[in-house]
Amino acid sequence: MINVCCRAIAQLRACRPIPEPQVRELCYKAREILIEEGNVVSVHAPVTICGDIHGQFHDLMELFRVGGDVPDTNYLFMGDFVDRGFYSLESFLLLLCLKVRYPDRITLIRGNHESRQITTVYGFYDECIRKYGSANVWRYCCEVFDYLALGALVLGATTDVPPAASDNENTQSTLPPEDEEVESEVLNANGDILSKTLRRRFAGLSMMSHHTNSSRISPAPDVDVPSPPDHPASSLPLQSSPSSQSLFTPPTSTTGAVLCVHGGLSPLIETVDKIRLIDRKQEVPHEGAMCDLLWSDPDEIEGWGLSPRGAGFLFGADIVRHFNHNNDLSLVARAHQLVMEGYKEMFDKTIVTVWSAPNYCYRCGNVAAILELGEDGSNGGCIARANGDQGRREPVGTDGSEGGSGVLWNLASPGRRYRVFEAAPQGTRGMPAKKPVGEYFL
Amino acid sequence: MLQVLQIVRDNPTGSQFLMSSSTIPNLNAFRRGQRGRGRGSGRGVGSSHSGAAGLGHGRHRPHDEIIQNTDNDAATSRLSAVEAGYLEDPFARLLSADEDGPVARRLPLMNRGTYLRTASIDRIVDTFLSSTGHGCRQIISLGAGSDTRYFRLKHKRQNLAIVYHEVDFEANTRRKIGRLRSPPFADKAKTLAGVDMHASDVRLSEDGSTLRSSEYNIHPQDLRRLPRDNADLTGVDKDLPTLIISECCLVYLPPEDADAVLRYFSQLFPSTTPLAIVVYEPIRPHDSFGRTMVRNLMSRGIQLQTLEKYAGLAEQQERLKTYGFRGDDGTGSGAEAVDINFIWQRWTPPEEKERVDGLEWMDELEEFVLLAKHYCICWGWRGYGEGSGWKELPSSSPN
Repeated sequence: MINVCCRAIAQLRACRPIPEPQVRELCYKAREILIEEGNVVSVHAPVTICGDIHGQFHDLMELFRVGGDVPDTNYLFMGDFVDRGFYSLESFLLLLCLKVRYPDRITLIRGNHESRQITTVYGFYDECIRKYGSANVWRYCCEVFDYLALGALVLGATTDVPPAASDNENTQSTLPPEDEEVESEVLNANGDILSKTLRRRFAGLSMMSHHTNSSRISPAPDVDVPSPPDHPASSLPLQSSPSSQSLFTPPTSTTGAVLCVHGGLSPLIETVDKIRLIDRKQEVPHEGAMCDLLWSDPDEIEGWGLSPRGAGFLFGADIVRHFNHNNDLSLVARAHQLVMEGYKEMFDKTIVTVWSAPNYCYRCGNVAAILELGEDGSNGGCIARANGDQGRREPVGTDGSEGGSGVLWNLASPGRRYRVFEAAPQGTRGMPAKKPVGEYFL
Repeated sequence: MLQVLQIVRDNPTGSQFLMSSSTIPNLNAFRRGQRGRGRGSGRGVGSSHSGAAGLGHGRHRPHDEIIQNTDNDAATSRLSAVEAGYLEDPFARLLSADEDGPVARRLPLMNRGTYLRTASIDRIVDTFLSSTGHGCRQIISLGAGSDTRYFRLKHKRQNLAIVYHEVDFEANTRRKIGRLRSPPFADKAKTLAGVDMHASDVRLSEDGSTLRSSEYNIHPQDLRRLPRDNADLTGVDKDLPTLIISECCLVYLPPEDADAVLRYFSQLFPSTTPLAIVVYEPIRPHDSFGRTMVRNLMSRGIQLQTLEKYAGLAEQQERLKTYGFRGDDGTGSGAEAVDINFIWQRWTPPEEKERVDGLEWMDELEEFVLLAKHYCICWGWRGYGEGSGWKELPSSSPN
């Protein structure tokens, strides 16, 4: 099987479909592996989290170029492998082959497009018919969709921004001075730093404390500190640290777990364990917990709201804050929504959207991103359980900065490195094999 | 050993694909010369209408022909929106290029965009008709192509007193007139709209590119030449309350020609004649979506020539003010511009939104907003008295 798999991987990497009998065998094998996975897969950091791919095969290759290859890099894909792009088949089958070949180095969870109903509208079905002349391959793939996990829990992520790959000189300079803790940074495809944010310090229990200490406060959590690419990170024009000690220096630098789902939360699910109880091996239902996990979106509202998508819900900052608090999560990572900058942190960095399809549909002009979470090496490789009470906590207020009755002390968010990349250069693409026109109104 | 499909990558000579074997049958998508296929990273798009030989030669085709063919695209989009239930248009199928074939299905966001474009212009037309008394009215549709609006109007109100003019390239008018006079369409026009395409007052030019009747007229006219030739469009009545429609038309003209067309009509009608205009076209070429749009269309040979000059809502509004819809006389005249996202948000009644939302499962919300913000509806009016409906159309200050 390994040999067959390697050959198939090589062929798919060249963006060539594999013959139908091989697809059938691959899908059978993949189901055997996926059935062993729970609804919520445990994944240990370090891990690179990716959002929607949507059949943009050449951009998936670019993703691997930027983020490292499997199995060198541990990947977690949050669904929507198929539809819209011209190479859903090649993209999904390659990811599936990699899953079969390196089951512990790549995790695939289900997106709302991994569905019979959606793929018949948005292109994957047509593509299978076009490339194989029958719906068999589409059917095999849909059977695999039913076995994909619904979420993943990343454990053991560090609060530090993960160490950069050793072959990347540029990122060596990202190591902050000892008294500055980088919470997140954004790199371009070449590894140059575009921006970074420093972790807020909480110098005392008094909610007023940060006013007296404002020079230490990094910018608002959702705002990046601009840093010109040629500017060494260590010389960022930030004041040096006063000697005040954080009362919340953690026992280790471990954070809470990171829940990864395609869409978002559900009003029917208060705990991660509830997700484990779902009978997932079915077509994505039109409503209910499983549907919500794949369809919901965070929004600037309070509580829950109706989704304009016609499935799932909208959920506000308070929902995420309480969900994270109750489940000892430090972050929810999700995909599902096009964001022009490739990633978008919301609600005082309690949730992030990661989008990995650059120039979506060859039209949107957006960049893509992947999110790297580093491994916490400080506790000798012991993985902290998600529902433990270790790790340091940070206040998450209604407005993200002020104290008050709305504050929850949530686990510190993990260090985050975003790598932002653009669509693969034209020369690497084939001719899009799809019906023309109609992408604009003429 | 595997037999594989070999795809020879895009090369500049134009032979894009080569199939070497086929354990995988029916790879229509890769077959060269297939109708409606073979669009590459832009080049050779016109190929869908020029057969196999057209592949790779898109850049050599005259811009005019490519622009004329945008009408096929619009017609296909319209038909898709009709079939999906967004629009009611019994005439769409018979005027589209794929009259007999299966309907090319557009994605839900495209259907919604097509719907909004049509519905918003319909609403402008309704405002025009309801603001202009009960006498005869006149509509002049620029670059009308295969548009069905005249027949839809007559379908809804057979007693509507109207003179309708369509202006387009000769190639398009001839094709359309051929379809209008074909038995299937003529039957439908007669039964549904009470329009007899073979009535005694319907006269065709010898080459079949001009149609005249007491009510419905089709002019083969290159709009760029209209102001220069200073030739009146035969049958246009300068005293009738008139609405001019430019639905993705002026944007394809060189800016000076587009301006000249507006000046021409502005001067053609005396200031006492109620005159209105509606323009639908792309905007905002400077953000990343807009830049990609310009590049993608350019690679298909489609140049949006006035887009740079009239890049935003403010510029669009200013243009209409400049060409006669000044808005300096109270409610008598004015000009407004909104984008299509605004049309969805503010022009579409809640129950209609619910209906449209229910037609298809739309998973392209962010993309739709992005797309919809790059198209605008602009309208202007002049020569109106109190009580016209123009001020009732929701608008916002352009930004």
